[in-house]
Amino acid sequence: MNIRFFCLARKDLKLIFSGGSGIIQPVLLGLILVFVFSLSTPIGEEVSAQAAASIFWLATSFALILVFNTLYSMEETNQARTGLLLSPMPLQLVWLSKAFTGMILLLLAQLFFFPATIVFLGQETIAGWWNLLGVIILVDWGLVAVGSLLGAVSQGHAARDSLLSVVIFPLLIPLLLAGIRMGAYLLGGTGDENLSAWAGIAFSFGAVFTGAAIILFPFVYNEY
Amino acid sequence: MSDNSIITRSIPALAITGAVGLVVAQYFIWVYAPVEATMGILQKIFYFHLPLAWWGLISFFVVFCASLVFLISKNPFMDRLSQSAAEVGLLFSGLALATGTLWARAAWNIWWTWDPRLSTTLVMWFIYAGYLVLRQSIDNPHKMRAVCAVLGVVAFLNVPLVFLSARMWRSIHPAVFGSRGGGLEPEMMTTVLVCIAAWGILTAGILFYRVRQLDLKDRIRSLFIF
Repeated sequence: MNIRFFCLARKDLKLIFSGGSGIIQPVLLGLILVFVFSLSTPIGEEVSAQAAASIFWLATSFALILVFNTLYSMEETNQARTGLLLSPMPLQLVWLSKAFTGMILLLLAQLFFFPATIVFLGQETIAGWWNLLGVIILVDWGLVAVGSLLGAVSQGHAARDSLLSVVIFPLLIPLLLAGIRMGAYLLGGTGDENLSAWAGIAFSFGAVFTGAAIILFPFVYNEY
Repeated sequence: MSDNSIITRSIPALAITGAVGLVVAQYFIWVYAPVEATMGILQKIFYFHLPLAWWGLISFFVVFCASLVFLISKNPFMDRLSQSAAEVGLLFSGLALATGTLWARAAWNIWWTWDPRLSTTLVMWFIYAGYLVLRQSIDNPHKMRAVCAVLGVVAFLNVPLVFLSARMWRSIHPAVFGSRGGGLEPEMMTTVLVCIAAWGILTAGILFYRVRQLDLKDRIRSLFIF
């Protein structure tokens, strides 16, 4: 099981980075979003920590759509998806490997978004680096669980980016609220006594959608 | 008796009962229930807003149940039921949001506020709008049914999280049915219950009518596709 999982994840990472494009598209889109939103504040005024956290997670959400469209579109050529369906492994492993690869790619994209948030949105007071990393990983878990489950929905569809955005974004709202509130606190914003409750929301979201994905993914990915 | 024959037979009865129920509800709204002291006549919006919101959310729950049963049984009737319920839920929750904004403007002097119930309804509206877009976007009907059933299940799993997160954000919505009976006069409460019952019957009528319509559509299509 482990070997197959790592084979799938390695195959996806190799295909993404060997093509030369890597994650340029999601990173560029996210950076543009951060930059454009920085223009919404008049010169001399500061962007609030909550607004900065919102922009960071918005950029991450758009990157999520592009990352999972790329991950699932790779098997469209030469009917490679049929090969995956025929391989002797549970289909849930496909979901897991895509989620794992998506997590790596999303974290890489966030490596660019975070400095951009500091530079363009003027967020220099970080309350706790390790806590921030923990929050990012916790929220990313929920994001990739949903992204990997529904990323396969738009496979083979001409307008897959817009279709996936319409389907996924509303589902992510509770997770994004949790990410924004925790992010705002850690970016030095006002204190939030409900920080652990927000972490609970993010954890519950990740757990619910991971459980749902394990049961439901074969229905989405199967050949009809 | 098959699912379709039960539905076909019950549509006229539901439509007539629903129409009579709505007429009776108008009497309760405009004659029986007192005019509210602060908001005046505008408070009457509430008798439309609440049933629409409730039956909209119940329709979404029907989507969840029908989707779950479809994934287990692959019965196309369940797929048609979930599509119909999503359409009715979208319409009703959209009307509930529209009437809610009119209420909010009159009562709180704002068109919109971040409230758990309002936000949950709006998020559900977005999710099920996406669900219906998805139904139109996938050409393979077998894949479309399975994928939409999955979305129908995960969409409803999200409701408690949306509600909780929106409540933690902030809330000013009044509690109508609280632990101590809410803040309504007995006449107003009776009127609300009559309205909920009338709209419920009408919802069932519309839902069954739409299921029947989708069934006929599928049968006509299957006449030409081999």
